Amino acid sequence: MANFTAAVYQNEFLPDGGTDVHAIVTVNCTGAGAAGQSGSGDAGEIIIVDTSGSMGKDGVQAAAYAAQTALDQILDGVWFAVISGNDRAQLAFPPSAEPVMVKMDPYTRQAAKDAVARFYADGGTAMGTWLRLAGRVFATVPTLSQKHAILLTDGENQHETPEALTQAIQAVTGQFQCDTRGVGVAWQVDEVRRIAQALLGTVDIIPAPHQLADEFAKLIQNAMARGVAQADLRVWAPQGAEVLFVRQVAPTVEDLTSRRTAVNALTGSYPTGSWGDESRDYHVAIRLAAKGIGQEQLAARVQLAIGDQVVASELVKALWSNDEALTTRISPEVAHYTGQTELAEAIQEGLAAKAAGDTATATTKLGRAVQLAAQTGNEEATTRLRKVVDIDDQDTGTVRLKRTVEKADEMALDTASTKTTRIKK
Amino acid sequence: MTSTTHTVCPSCGGPVSDADRYCEACGTELNPAAAGAGSPNTPALDTDTEPTVEINTAPPVGPCVSCGGTIGADGYCETCGAKAAKVRDHFSEQPSPWVAGVCDRGIRHARNEDALAIAADAEPGSRALLVVCDGVSSSLDSDVASLAAARAARDVLTAGHAQGIGTESSRASAIVARLKAAADAASDAVLENTSPDSPNPASCTFVAAVLENGLLVAGNVGDSRAYWFPDNSAPVALTVDDSWAAELIATGIPREQAESGPHAHAITRWLGKDAPDHTPRTTTLKVAEPGWLLVCSDGLWNYCSEAAPLADLVRQTAAAAGGEPLATAAALVDWANAQGGQDNITVALARI
Repeated sequence: MANFTAAVYQNEFLPDGGTDVHAIVTVNCTGAGAAGQSGSGDAGEIIIVDTSGSMGKDGVQAAAYAAQTALDQILDGVWFAVISGNDRAQLAFPPSAEPVMVKMDPYTRQAAKDAVARFYADGGTAMGTWLRLAGRVFATVPTLSQKHAILLTDGENQHETPEALTQAIQAVTGQFQCDTRGVGVAWQVDEVRRIAQALLGTVDIIPAPHQLADEFAKLIQNAMARGVAQADLRVWAPQGAEVLFVRQVAPTVEDLTSRRTAVNALTGSYPTGSWGDESRDYHVAIRLAAKGIGQEQLAARVQLAIGDQVVASELVKALWSNDEALTTRISPEVAHYTGQTELAEAIQEGLAAKAAGDTATATTKLGRAVQLAAQTGNEEATTRLRKVVDIDDQDTGTVRLKRTVEKADEMALDTASTKTTRIKK
Repeated sequence: MTSTTHTVCPSCGGPVSDADRYCEACGTELNPAAAGAGSPNTPALDTDTEPTVEINTAPPVGPCVSCGGTIGADGYCETCGAKAAKVRDHFSEQPSPWVAGVCDRGIRHARNEDALAIAADAEPGSRALLVVCDGVSSSLDSDVASLAAARAARDVLTAGHAQGIGTESSRASAIVARLKAAADAASDAVLENTSPDSPNPASCTFVAAVLENGLLVAGNVGDSRAYWFPDNSAPVALTVDDSWAAELIATGIPREQAESGPHAHAITRWLGKDAPDHTPRTTTLKVAEPGWLLVCSDGLWNYCSEAAPLADLVRQTAAAAGGEPLATAAALVDWANAQGGQDNITVALARI
């Protein structure tokens, strides 16, 4: 039985007239168990592989091998399917004209591997159609409580409009989670990240096809270790208060604010997808009406809920004080994640400016990113930034754009921009 | 991550131990991280040390005082988030219209370790018993101990009603003896509320004033005070603090200077397991004219320590409150909070 705990980190002391309360809430899960074995429903897994012409023979072979590796990692009893995608989507396994899934067992695993081996490269790329088919396939098994897909692409979404992709993403949001991976350097980080973010998944670059299999195996292993099918973050704020934002800040930065659905007039629910044994941090910001010195009130109740069941809960408080020693203290956790969120934005905006040829903005933003990465101790980000800029002074954020940059390094910096490090205790 | 280990107080440099919550010398909170940034804030407002005496355990009842909403199990309103008032944080007593007291958490401290217990006969100016105890915030459970002590002392004082026979001096001796017995009872109450293996045994100050048939006797252990402010004569401080500052004052150092020093709040006597001696030093006075009897904790006198200005403050506050003791005591508490409310505040008054 999964066990959730929560802890809150904040400075609850506000100065006279202060209104904004920031807190980091850490939610920890242990004993999650394995996907589909919690007794609350079945697990489903769909592997979506790009088989467009640009993949080429070698690319498709590597993708097929990776898909086979992934199939090996899907637990027996888990419902699954394989979709091959180009400018339209086909159900590669089970071999059927209608959407359908089967349960994993040694026989279906081998049959699926055989089907995947027959992949060939052909046609264009229209990822929206792949997502829509995955949604229809998952919908054929009503007992599924946990639905996860991995999506592999190698190129731009050339064969459908951005609007069509947006509509497809909207159509399947909330139906399943999807981790996305791009192989090579011909795909668009923004496009694929959009899918991953909406579908509560991750995005990353796999520079070379031979690295696919390991990555797929890891993704499926992670998915199979998520025994909690679905949980929601709930945030209660007092009447008259404004929830400024709700963000996941670790392991990655994801703004959840717009994903709110109302539980009641004062409580919002934010989907967090499935959980394994892991820890996630959330940054909650609430604006209150200021109260008098010495008064205390609750700024938020932050809870994790599985269905209607609240499994962990913490309180965010506000206490008005005229003691500057208390009110000026900055919570190191809040400061750390505020910096990490800005770091993600600085990297993405810097790279976008660089791509648009705006060297001045790119230099400023990436310089700021270097500074923030140093301040918040995000050494991985610093390492990735070094491949794109020459750092003159990381404390002041003085950098020069490198004259030649490996495309894959730039994309890796972009895809990893939202990855955060935890505060050093 | 909140285990800041001090061996000296970061504020005044006085010696402190790991178990101390506040510096014994200057009152600085020793582990403010536990109540602020960078820590899980569950223990910040000491829900784990919820007092256990009856008045303290009153569960949050009834609708929220701010908005009328329901109080949640977490002690906050489910609608507006206001913290449910804890009775222990602010309470008042008025046994008779002419005698009243208010005991308040103040602003800076997370809980109210002051305590108040008073009793009075109905006839104005006849008989009143006022006890104030100030829990030492560097010790554990002082809020529980101080309230138990104040009540035990009041009960002893109430039970030993003199019958009005004998000379004035024998009556005075009888009251002094009862006051000492009351201090004994208060001390016993503190010990009863101290865990035997407490690393930091509960302790508190003690001050009691007894008015009976025109005689006023006050006694104290520690730095809580009693004053007599006659309407037309000079104000009288009935007690001398058992404190570092008072010892300095005795050597000729001006009060203001002594009481603003780093160890101003270090007391030299108290009630508790580790107390060297708890016999109250008493003062006896014959009441010859109308006036105010004030018994208070340092939460009030910190902001006005000299008898004369304090008398003026009480008189002016009383005048503004229409001479009503409860309203006056409440207004004096508000005044102390307006000065910063650095400590718990207790004000008990009898209009004689």
